[in-house]
Amino acid sequence: MTHYSFKRYLGLMALALILGLATLGVASAQPSPIHPSFPLLDEDGVNVLDSGKPISVMQTCGGCHDSEFIEKHSFHSQVGLNEMFPAGQAPSGRPWDTSKGLFGLWDPITYRYLSPPEDKTIDLTTAGWIQVYGTHHAGGGPAVTSRSGLPLKDLEVSADNPETSILNPETGELEPWNWKESGTVEMNCFLCHMPDPNNQARISALKKGDFGWANTATLVGTGIVQPSPDGKGMVYNKDAFDKRGNLKQNALPIQSPSSSNCGQCHGEVQEDVTKALSYRDLDENDWNTLRTGQIFSGQRISDSALNIKGKSELKRSWDVHAERNLKCTDCHFALNNPAYYDPPKELNPKHLVFEPRRPDIADYLQKPIHDFARGAVTKDEVSSAFVTSMRRCESCHDYKSTHSWLPYEDRHAQKLSCEACHIPAMHATAIQQNDWTVIDADGKGVLTYRNITGDGNPRNPYNMLEGFKPILLPRYDTQGNLKLAPFNLISSWYWVYGDPARPVRQMDLKKAFFDEKGNYKPEIVSAFDINGDGRLTKVELRIDNKEKENVVRAQLESLGLSNPRIQAEVQPYSISHDATWGEYSTQDCTACHSDNSRVSDALMLASYTPGDVTPTLVGDVNMEPTGDLIKDESGALYFKPNTAKEGLYLPGHDRVKWIDWLGVLMLLGVLAGVAVHGGLRMYSAAHGAITHHGLTRKLYLYTFYERFWHWTQAIAIILLILTGIVIHRPDMFGAFDMGAVVPVHNVLGFLLLFNAFFALFYFLAGHSIQQFLPEPKGFFHQALQQAMFYGRGIFKGEPHPFEKNEKRKMNPLQQMTYLVILNVLLPLQIITGILIWGAQRWPTLSDAIGGLRYIAPLHTFIAWSFAAFVIMHMYLTTTGHTPLAAIEGMITGWEEVEVEEGDHMTTV
Amino acid sequence: MLHGKKNWIIGILITLIIFGIPIALVAVPRSASQQIDNPRAHLPKHPVPTDHSGFFENADFKTGQDVTEACLTCHPEAGEDMMKNNHFTWTHEYTLDEVPGVHDNVLGLKEPVKTGKKYTLNNFCITIKPNWPACTACHAGYGWEDDNFDFSDPKNIDCLACHDNTGYYVKAKAGVPAKSVDLVNIAKHVGNPTRLNCGACHFRGGGGDAVKHGDLDNSLIYPTRELDVHMGGEDMVCTDCHRYEGNHVFKGRSISVSLDHKNQAHCTDCHSETPHQDDRLNMHTKTVACQTCHIPTFARKEATKTYWDWSQAGKDLPITNVHEYLKIKGRFVYERDVVPTYAWYNGGIKDRYLVGDKFDPSKELVLNPPAGDINDPNAKIWPFKVHHATQPYDKKYDILLTPHTYGPGGYWSDFDWDKALRDGAAAFGLPYSGDYGFARTAMYWPTTHMVAPKEDALQCNACHTPDGKPGRLDWKALGYEGDPMIYGSRKVNLETANAQPGGQQ
Repeated sequence: MTHYSFKRYLGLMALALILGLATLGVASAQPSPIHPSFPLLDEDGVNVLDSGKPISVMQTCGGCHDSEFIEKHSFHSQVGLNEMFPAGQAPSGRPWDTSKGLFGLWDPITYRYLSPPEDKTIDLTTAGWIQVYGTHHAGGGPAVTSRSGLPLKDLEVSADNPETSILNPETGELEPWNWKESGTVEMNCFLCHMPDPNNQARISALKKGDFGWANTATLVGTGIVQPSPDGKGMVYNKDAFDKRGNLKQNALPIQSPSSSNCGQCHGEVQEDVTKALSYRDLDENDWNTLRTGQIFSGQRISDSALNIKGKSELKRSWDVHAERNLKCTDCHFALNNPAYYDPPKELNPKHLVFEPRRPDIADYLQKPIHDFARGAVTKDEVSSAFVTSMRRCESCHDYKSTHSWLPYEDRHAQKLSCEACHIPAMHATAIQQNDWTVIDADGKGVLTYRNITGDGNPRNPYNMLEGFKPILLPRYDTQGNLKLAPFNLISSWYWVYGDPARPVRQMDLKKAFFDEKGNYKPEIVSAFDINGDGRLTKVELRIDNKEKENVVRAQLESLGLSNPRIQAEVQPYSISHDATWGEYSTQDCTACHSDNSRVSDALMLASYTPGDVTPTLVGDVNMEPTGDLIKDESGALYFKPNTAKEGLYLPGHDRVKWIDWLGVLMLLGVLAGVAVHGGLRMYSAAHGAITHHGLTRKLYLYTFYERFWHWTQAIAIILLILTGIVIHRPDMFGAFDMGAVVPVHNVLGFLLLFNAFFALFYFLAGHSIQQFLPEPKGFFHQALQQAMFYGRGIFKGEPHPFEKNEKRKMNPLQQMTYLVILNVLLPLQIITGILIWGAQRWPTLSDAIGGLRYIAPLHTFIAWSFAAFVIMHMYLTTTGHTPLAAIEGMITGWEEVEVEEGDHMTTV
Repeated sequence: MLHGKKNWIIGILITLIIFGIPIALVAVPRSASQQIDNPRAHLPKHPVPTDHSGFFENADFKTGQDVTEACLTCHPEAGEDMMKNNHFTWTHEYTLDEVPGVHDNVLGLKEPVKTGKKYTLNNFCITIKPNWPACTACHAGYGWEDDNFDFSDPKNIDCLACHDNTGYYVKAKAGVPAKSVDLVNIAKHVGNPTRLNCGACHFRGGGGDAVKHGDLDNSLIYPTRELDVHMGGEDMVCTDCHRYEGNHVFKGRSISVSLDHKNQAHCTDCHSETPHQDDRLNMHTKTVACQTCHIPTFARKEATKTYWDWSQAGKDLPITNVHEYLKIKGRFVYERDVVPTYAWYNGGIKDRYLVGDKFDPSKELVLNPPAGDINDPNAKIWPFKVHHATQPYDKKYDILLTPHTYGPGGYWSDFDWDKALRDGAAAFGLPYSGDYGFARTAMYWPTTHMVAPKEDALQCNACHTPDGKPGRLDWKALGYEGDPMIYGSRKVNLETANAQPGGQQ
């Protein structure tokens, strides 16, 4: 007797301890302190303590919150059910896709697909879809309602209807599925609104087809419910409830979703940064992490336990927003959450800065919209009406206040997403290539990850993750403006058959590759086994020649699949998380403004191309990146974007080759001409050509202002050419900081403009403009005469054909040259320069005449012309009475000129 | 050329003005806008030491005093200054008004109240008296063995401890030079104090390397940048911050021995008060000490003592690890890479346990609780190493006792607590009932050295944690409603705050 009660006492103690520990663990997670306690109800609204049936979240939460409203306004529940298409008419363009969401949009990585209802050969029925994709579905939507809108439970059960049947993988036959027995999967509020929900228990219930209990399984471990000892259903623990049948306070803490809640399906989220992130944390449920490499954690990368290249130097956090305590819902908020709701300013009347009429907290709590704010996506996705409903970086950050160091900060902001610089590199890994043309021993396609050493397995801690630079591709915002943003590109290869095409089902691939015992068929082994060891390694398991392709095709055809063929596609995944701040972001100008520019960095699409099929971009992306597919000698396929073709012109990176060649030729030509002409002059002078020793006199030719104008212009032009070269070819002049040179160039340009403006005023006002204007009468003849002098007379020491004097300082050739230089080239150069400079202030202006891609090369060409002119000009100044006479004249104003009986003189 | 050189110079000047000014106005500020702070510009310039190698050709120094006598022939004022310097006196004197806290003292507090290493008590080796020779090995003097040491004789000053530049100077018991030391050679090579000079004592306080401070140990003699951004990254020496202010006085104070915080050294002696590019960080600087974020953990290289249990001493335990147990001292805990304890601190102390003070042995006695709270505009949240101990006290009088440990008849040779405590009490004039026990005590050591490079500084999430999960700071204990990120910062008029609150040696 005593013995018995002592045992019971021990048992109670243990139970109390467990409960106490559970409460402690829960208490530290800061549940909402004001959420009242509530009863758990079943689908009939009866307390589960009385009925013992599964919890109905719609009933339980629906007591206060409008759960029907929430389910209807939640793309996490609907996942495409409310936007279904007939097979082949979905925006993706794949003939077997029936929606834009998880329910009906194929993912070639997970590979399983929801069969269009009219298909004869079925891969996933609705029940099968829940078993496979329910892992990443919040319940509700297609897990409760049929495509026709009827509750699944109300459908007449028939093996012929893919909504009330399931495929038996053993027989390949459809068998009826009774929803009333299995239950359906209601929207699961617990999954997102409680700390540490038991997702594993939920998933395993789903996989077992135990749909009705799946949501209840989410609570296993809280002390409220546990699996029934007989293996069927679950039993509730009365101690977790109070006398009225409500849950005790804190037995089930309710909270607004933490980032960890989101991370259960979306990717790796680490909230406790005191524990080092390890390779064990990256599991296959982390869809976004595996597809993009994004890890939402405030931990320093150097503090993680992942084997990352250069880790000790990576003192940045994985994501600066996580580091600074933002959580997912701070950006992806419920759209009518009054704390975040801020209607776009454009929607306000002009006079209104703040819209005070907003949802009341009570309204919101009753009917919280569960279509969450989302950023710009590149795909025509589910609930696309809400795309860009999210605050963008610039809605929270004042870009201007922190980027004053950056020349052309507006221009950069126009053409670059913040992510382009602030997500410079991904330091974990992401999928690169997904090859379902073959299957591995587990019956799965072969995944290749980006830049991992060793055997390439991201979950092998001995392999080093070398990270990758996301590719920068143009993304168009809602206004149609192009911005470069970072992406990962995943290429997939897979077999399709028939017409309209369907992917070859995973079960058919297994039949094609494996014998009945599950081993590779001999035909497959003999075709693929290169080293003859009887086993197929990852490297051997690829279709890299026709023979292998034919072997597999024959196997598929023998299954009765018509016209099996390999298809390939590229799926872009935009990267917006894993942002970093200033120091670790791309700050160096030459990262982009150089030959090896970030904007044209190629990204490897695939290390091999199965069946030699080139992948194409999937149809539902609203982007058309221009660039080149490049295949290297090893057979690896790359995509190299070409932003110039998008209309972007990056000084220092883009240039028009023929213009530079023309410029170089022009410069070389002038240099050669000067060398030959000067050489001949020296030769003829040395070999006794008669030097004309005419009378000379000193004339005051140039006023102080004319000289001041001339030299200011000369220095400005030379400095502009020098700084311009640095900007044009930063790779060649790495010693100069492009970011410092650009503003100097701009200042010089304005000095040139002011100088020209004042000079024009001076010459116009003083009528001395006339000296620049050639006399039309006899001009051609005189010009020829001057040319003849340079060509012949100068070597013989003949006098200059035209006398230089105060009234006539220039010869006809000079007049013509200066007319072109000062009235055509200089204004053009100033205008093109201003347009380039002004591209950030008045982008429409430069865009109206074709944008920088036309203006900038013109600017470059004129610069070449100026360079050539400067050399010719400097040479011709030596052709005066004495070589230095003209320069002296321009310095002092006084020039010694020849006096002829015929009044002729020159210099240029 | 024609009009002389003058015109050329004028021409070049005009050109420079025309081109230089616009470029300077427009282009240069862009690249310069990043520069906030130039702390290096504030570093003191140390005098170039005179070469002493020629001065002692025929010298024959038998004792340290002989050397000092030679020093004083040229530097007589140094002797005068050093005799007032607390490196020599180990004494501070205060009026009763200046003593913080309430003291029910069995000895009675008489003005001047004397503190300093010579008079106060800690929870490591407890008191210097009557254990002089062991402690005074680090005294900047020669031969302090008992109460009769002559503090008025300048020859007793040890110049070499601080000015030896050979690295071969070693002090033995009572501070006399070790026998092997070549005094002549060392006298020839004197100069400015190096990290080794200061470190010889300050890195080894508490009886060995790294024992006492947690942020000062031998690893700072040749530190890496990661360990100490100042002494490793910039090769700074102690006197770059503990600046010489003339008359052998240096900046710097510690609440371990001083009651005041006059003449403190501060980060802001070189750095701006708002040195961050990020405004959000600058908003912290009136409430959070620089050290709090920039010294994420202390004892980053060498483990430091965090617990000393005197009550376990005297047993023959089978523990050979001297960092866990010593028969003469008891049990220890050493920790490495320790997260500091954080507390409000305005540079001063709330109280100081003085020898003879009565206390409540049922609670842990904090010997030097830092002053400041959330309402004190001069207080900031500071990192501390807290050293916990149990140490002997008199159960009848409720006072801490001062055991005689070192030397003949001391506890370390006889293992007789009663005798050791009786002798120690007698030395101080304390009453001793014979009924002794062990009281729990704690000491606060502000953490201020071993500043980590900025990339290792704490990040937001060290203290501000998502969803209110526990972080480094216990907001409620500090007096906040909760995380100030959510609940707002303290409502104190910081305008009234001194520019430079709490600092530390």
